[in-house]
Amino acid sequence: MTEFVKHETVLDTGAEKLGKTYARALIAAAKNQGDGVADTIVNQLAMIVDDYLGHNPQLRDAFASPRVSHAEKVRVIDRIFGDELHPTLLKFLKVMASRDRLGYVYAVRNAADEIFDDMMGRVVASVQTAVPLDDVTRSQVIERLGSVMNAEIKLRESVDPELIGGMVIRIGDRVFDSSVQNRLNKLAVKVRRGFSSKLLERFDQFISG
Amino acid sequence: MKFSSDEIASVLQQEIEQFDNKTDVREVGTVLEVGDGIARVYGLSGVMAGEMVEFRNGSIGLAFNLEENSVGVIILGDYLTIEEGEEVKALGTLLSVPAGDAVIGRVLDPLGNPLDGKGPVQTDITRPVEIIATGVAERQPVTQPMQTGIKAVDAMTPIGRGQRELIIGDRKTGKTAIAIDAILNQKGKDVKCFYVAIGQKDSAVASLLGVLEKNGAMEYTTVIVAGASSPAPMQYVAPYAGTAMAEQFMFNGGHALIVYDDLSKQATAYRQMSLLMRRPPGREAYPGDVFYCHSRLLERSAKLSDALGGGSITSLPIIETLEGEVSAYIPTNVISITDGQIYLQPDLFFAGIRPAMNAGISVSRVGGAAQVKAMKKVAGGLRLDLAAFRALEAFAQLGTDLDAATQSQLDRGYRMVELLKQPQFKPMSVTDQVLSLYAGTRGFLDDVPVKAVRRWEMDFLQFAKDKHASLVSLLDEKMDLSDEVIQMIEACIGDFKNGYKPVESAI
Repeated sequence: MTEFVKHETVLDTGAEKLGKTYARALIAAAKNQGDGVADTIVNQLAMIVDDYLGHNPQLRDAFASPRVSHAEKVRVIDRIFGDELHPTLLKFLKVMASRDRLGYVYAVRNAADEIFDDMMGRVVASVQTAVPLDDVTRSQVIERLGSVMNAEIKLRESVDPELIGGMVIRIGDRVFDSSVQNRLNKLAVKVRRGFSSKLLERFDQFISG
Repeated sequence: MKFSSDEIASVLQQEIEQFDNKTDVREVGTVLEVGDGIARVYGLSGVMAGEMVEFRNGSIGLAFNLEENSVGVIILGDYLTIEEGEEVKALGTLLSVPAGDAVIGRVLDPLGNPLDGKGPVQTDITRPVEIIATGVAERQPVTQPMQTGIKAVDAMTPIGRGQRELIIGDRKTGKTAIAIDAILNQKGKDVKCFYVAIGQKDSAVASLLGVLEKNGAMEYTTVIVAGASSPAPMQYVAPYAGTAMAEQFMFNGGHALIVYDDLSKQATAYRQMSLLMRRPPGREAYPGDVFYCHSRLLERSAKLSDALGGGSITSLPIIETLEGEVSAYIPTNVISITDGQIYLQPDLFFAGIRPAMNAGISVSRVGGAAQVKAMKKVAGGLRLDLAAFRALEAFAQLGTDLDAATQSQLDRGYRMVELLKQPQFKPMSVTDQVLSLYAGTRGFLDDVPVKAVRRWEMDFLQFAKDKHASLVSLLDEKMDLSDEVIQMIEACIGDFKNGYKPVESAI
């Protein structure tokens, strides 16, 4: 389900807002528990959303359904996650259940990822290249971006042969495009424009005979 | 004709050598939903209101609504091939259109793309579409006349350069005809004309282009078309784009005349966009800022101070009313913004009084100062007389016996109405207008049968041109009714009447 993809194309502003609020509370609670707890909790939350809910639509529906009672949901949470999860996350899920918000776990996960990355000074950079990155280039990119952004870089790679060469790096809403495709397009526009103005300026010189 | 490939290659080489190879940095977002000429975009977090964005298919959009989580974008162009999930990039600039001499004689869409098949507009000059109008200190009062060539308008609701005069009336009452006559009359007067067609039938625009071309008006006219089939955002920006092109001339000391045909359709387009963007509807479902939409547009028509070159933009906005309802939302708004209105009435139109101007409620609030002296002297009081005549005429229809004074007032009125009729696409010079209005208002027509008045006028003007050329040239030069000129006019009329017998068939 596309619901679990980040930046889903159906924008539910309410869910986004709600997720942010819960995520902030969760991470603040985790931080109080000591070092490393927040990291564990964010990872476990991702696991819940990706592994359990992502592969199990019935569980997801049960979580979202208002017809399943709070007590039932709490029981399910205890039974499935009881041993695995950090106690704070477990409590958090129960709080969400008691407030009828379990259907929004995915929104909380997205927001928690973002807040946690932000907290740790981590920046997600997606890199598009024409051919897969080799290790040397990858470490170069990470190092260079890290020094420019002054942050730890989390790389997300993808391959698009249409770029021909070079790479397109996207950080947040900003794109740094040095692909050959983009340069060729820009060159084409510029040459066409320049040529037509020259043509207008000195048409006679273009005609021979 | 052969093209020399060497020359072409060298130009291309130069262009390629000059190409700077910089990494392209841009702000991007993702299309969430698209349709009806608008798109909602996720991301674009640094975009500013009114900034241009580009879709993958090359269409340009404007950031219209900045919301907490998304950006509402109006799409100027093809929105049918934009897909959900595709990338949108911010261009970091405001929408601008080509301007300057290169746009003259062209038919363009609101983005400055050619619609006349004559290739792209070749110019380096561009102007931003939306600017804030010039302030108080940069302006001066309207004093120069802007002749429309229509007797009724020039005599009763004179228009000055820098004025905004609304043309308002029901459908099919000759609103566009007045605007077109005004454009035709600018021939040789060094006024650049801009006709902005908003939501018009393309067939109507095509026939109008034919008229402009036939009368040689395309030499100084630009037509900006956002037809009925254009998406609403195009219709919305069209008047701003036209004004931007006109401003290029105004700020360089020139004069421009711009016709917005018509602003009620632009308001409708704006309403559509606003409702789709979920802005709250107000009266007649128009958004709250529809007044500002028109006021900021019409404020850009101005007469600049001498320090800024004294250029001007005169605008003739057109509003179509429904069943003569001038108290609807948009008509009242635009009436209050403009410096006067020409009100056209269907019953006058169908009674054969064309232009079908209602003298009673048509006014020009600033044009009087811009009227030439001669015209002011012959036409002063004409508007009120004509309005009084209308009231009297209605009363006289009751069939009561009238005293001699009232009867003569009626007779004069009938002849004046007849005299103010004017065929389409036949603008008259000021001199001709002064001569015929002089004859009418000073009672020289009282003994001419009503039906023969128009024939009389035509023959008289021809006679004056042929036999009294000195009078015509003197009037042309002075533009004032000195005693000498009055004597000459009366002598001319006397001369003409002595030898004139109206054609029987006309009576």
